[in-house]
Amino acid sequence: MFGGLDFSVVPASLPFIADGLMFSVNLTVVAMIGGIVIGTLLAMARLSDFPMLRAPATFYVDAMRSIPLLMVILWFFLVIPLITGKPIGAEKSALITFTAFQAAFYGEIMRAGIQGVSRGQVWAGQALGMNYWRVMGHVVLPQAFRNMLPVLFTQTVILFQDTSLVYAIGAKDLLKAADIAGKNYNRPVEMYLFVAAIYFAICLFLSWLVRRLQRRIAILR
Amino acid sequence: MGYHWNWGIFLEPIPGGDETYLDWLISGLGWTVAVSLTAWVLGLVVGVAMGALRTVNNRWVVALATGYVELFRNIPLLVQLFLWFFVVPELLPKGLSLWVKQDLPAKEFVTASICLGLFTAARIAEQVRAGIQSQAKGQRMAAQALGFSGFQTYRFVLLPVALRLVMPPLTSEFMNVIKNSSVAFAIGVIELTFVARQMQEESEQGIETYLAVTTLYFICAYLANRLMKVIERRTQIPGTVGGGR
Amino acid sequence: MIDINGVSKWYGEFQVLTDCATRVEKGEVVVVCGPSGSGKSTLIKCVNGLEAFQKGRIEVDGISVGDPATNLPKLRARVGMVFQHFELFPHMSVLDNLTIAPVKVLGRSREQAVTKAKALLDRVGLAGHAAKFPGQLSGGQQQRVAIARALAMDPICMLFDEPTSALDPEMISEVLDVMVLLAKEGMTMVVVTHEMGFAKNVAHRVIFMDHGRIVEDAPKEDFFGRPHSERAQQFLAKILSH
Repeated sequence: MFGGLDFSVVPASLPFIADGLMFSVNLTVVAMIGGIVIGTLLAMARLSDFPMLRAPATFYVDAMRSIPLLMVILWFFLVIPLITGKPIGAEKSALITFTAFQAAFYGEIMRAGIQGVSRGQVWAGQALGMNYWRVMGHVVLPQAFRNMLPVLFTQTVILFQDTSLVYAIGAKDLLKAADIAGKNYNRPVEMYLFVAAIYFAICLFLSWLVRRLQRRIAILR
Repeated sequence: MGYHWNWGIFLEPIPGGDETYLDWLISGLGWTVAVSLTAWVLGLVVGVAMGALRTVNNRWVVALATGYVELFRNIPLLVQLFLWFFVVPELLPKGLSLWVKQDLPAKEFVTASICLGLFTAARIAEQVRAGIQSQAKGQRMAAQALGFSGFQTYRFVLLPVALRLVMPPLTSEFMNVIKNSSVAFAIGVIELTFVARQMQEESEQGIETYLAVTTLYFICAYLANRLMKVIERRTQIPGTVGGGR
Repeated sequence: MIDINGVSKWYGEFQVLTDCATRVEKGEVVVVCGPSGSGKSTLIKCVNGLEAFQKGRIEVDGISVGDPATNLPKLRARVGMVFQHFELFPHMSVLDNLTIAPVKVLGRSREQAVTKAKALLDRVGLAGHAAKFPGQLSGGQQQRVAIARALAMDPICMLFDEPTSALDPEMISEVLDVMVLLAKEGMTMVVVTHEMGFAKNVAHRVIFMDHGRIVEDAPKEDFFGRPHSERAQQFLAKILSH
C-alpha cells in the first residue's frame, strides 16, 4: 500500500512548509487574542440592559454562527477592498476575517462564563460601591475567564484547524504550502500526508494540554 | 464605493452557455443538499455505532473507537478532503486504485460525501457517548438482569434514550454538516460555494452573488433546524422535558 | 439615618412588598425577622438600591435611593452590607478582598488600605489570615472577613442579610460576637436574622414582617414581652421553642 511513496522530498520542502506553518500559527494567535477581547465586549453587549446594544450584538453572533466560514472568508475578501478603495492581500484579509468570526464564538463562551458567576458576587461588588465597569473588571470577568479557560482553549484548537480554509483565497498557510510544494516536487501525496501529520500532532498535543488543564481546575475546586 | 450594482444578473445567461446564473445557483443548491444529506446519513450510522462502541466493557474495542474519533477530530476537514481525494486512491491496491481514479461515477461527490460523513461521525460519536454515559448505571444492569445480550441492551434500552437526550447537539451537528459541505468546492463539487466563487469572478457582481448564496445557506440551515425539531417532538418520551430522564 | 416610606415592590404580577414604612435612627440596632418569603431580604436590599422598588421612598442620610439622579455607587460606598452567603471574591486573597474597594472606589493609597485592613482583621479575630484565600477559610471565618470588608469602607451604617443562616451551628457565635461588639460601639445596624438571642441582647427595636408587610415594629421589650399581633406571637412561639 505504501510502496511507491517517496518521502525524501520532505526535508527539502521544510523551509517552505515552516513558513506556511508560521502563518497558520500567527493567524491562530491573532484571531484568538482579538477574538476573546472583542468577544467579551460582544458578550457584555448581549447581556446589557440596552436593546440598542443587545440587538446588533445578538444579530452579529447569530449571523456568524449560521454562515459557512468559507462564505465569511469570501465575503470579507470581496468587501474590504470595496470599502477601503485599495486591494488587500489574502493574508491580511484572513487576519481580519478570522478575528471577526472567532469573536462570535469566543463571545458565546464568555457569555456563558459571565452568566455562571453568581449574582451574589455582583451584589457584593455593588454593595462596596463599585460601578458597572469595576464590578465587571474586578469581580465578574476574572472569574468568568478562569472558569471558561478549558472551553476557550478547545475553541482555539478548532480555530487552528479552521485556518486551513484560507486556501479559498490563496493565502499562504500550511495547507497551501503543502499544495505548492506538492506541485513543485511532483509529490502531492507525500506532502499532504506530511502536513496532515503536522496538523494531527499539534492538535493532539493541544487537546492533551486542555485535558490536563481541566484536571487541574477540577482539583482546585 | 465604485461598485456597480446589477440585481438582474441572475437572469442573465452564463457566458458561453444558455443557462442563466439563476439556474447555476439552483443546481449548486442541489449539490449542497445532496452532499449534506448523504454525509448526514453516513455520519449518523457510523457515529452512533462508534459512540456506542466507546462505552462497551471491552478495552480494545474502546481503544479502537477512541483512536478513530481522535484521528478524525484532530485533522482539519479540508486536509481530510485532500487526503481522501489525492492520497487514498494512491494507497489502494492497483486495480481498485485505477478504477477509483478513472471509472468511479461522480467521484468528487462520492469522495466529499464519504469524507464529510466520516468527519461528522466522529463528532456524533462523542455526543452519543455522552448521551449513553449520562444514563444511570442501573439501566444497563436492569437490561442485563432481564437476559438481554449486549447488543440488545444498546438496541432497546441505552440508544433510544441516548439519541433523544442528544437531540439538541445533533440538531447543531446537522446544521454544521450543511456549513461544512462548502469545503467540497476544493475538489470540484459544483455546490453553492463553488458557484459563488465562479459567479463572482465571471459576472463581477460579487455582492449580489454572495447575498444570494448566503440566503440559500440560511434557508437550508433553517429548514434543517425545523426538521430536527419536528423529529424531536414526535419522538419525545411522554412525561419528560428533555426526552430523557 | 434611614427613612422608609410607603414602599411597595412587584415582581411582574406578584407583589413582594406592600406599604412598608419605618425609621432607623443613628446608633440604633434594628432586627428584622419573619417567616421565609416575608420580604425581609428584599426590603433590606432596597435600602442600598440593590433591588429597585416601584412605589414609595427610601432615604439614607438624606439621600433618596429611588431617585434616578442619585449616584448609587457613591451612596453604596457609605453603606456596608454583609450577605448570607458571604460573597467574598474567590479569586482574591483576604487582604485583596479588604483593600480592593477602598483603593479603587474611595481612592485611598494601598499602604493606607493595607494598614486599615490588618487592623480590621485583628478586630474580627483573624489576624495573620491576610494572605489566605476564601476557599481556605471556614464559613465563620469567611463571614468575619466579609464584615471586615464592609467595615473597611468606614460606613455610616451596616446592613446584614441573614448573616448566620448559612453557617454551621458551632460557627454562629463567632460571627454574632463580632456583631455584638459593633453594636456596642454605636454602629447603626439593620439585621435580618432568626437569632432572637442576638435581638434580645443588643437590639433596640424589632420589626416583624409577614407576606411583604411590616406587621409589627416595636421596642424589643415590648416585642418580646407583649407582642400585639397574633402572627408575631405564633412566629415567636415557634422560633423560641428551639
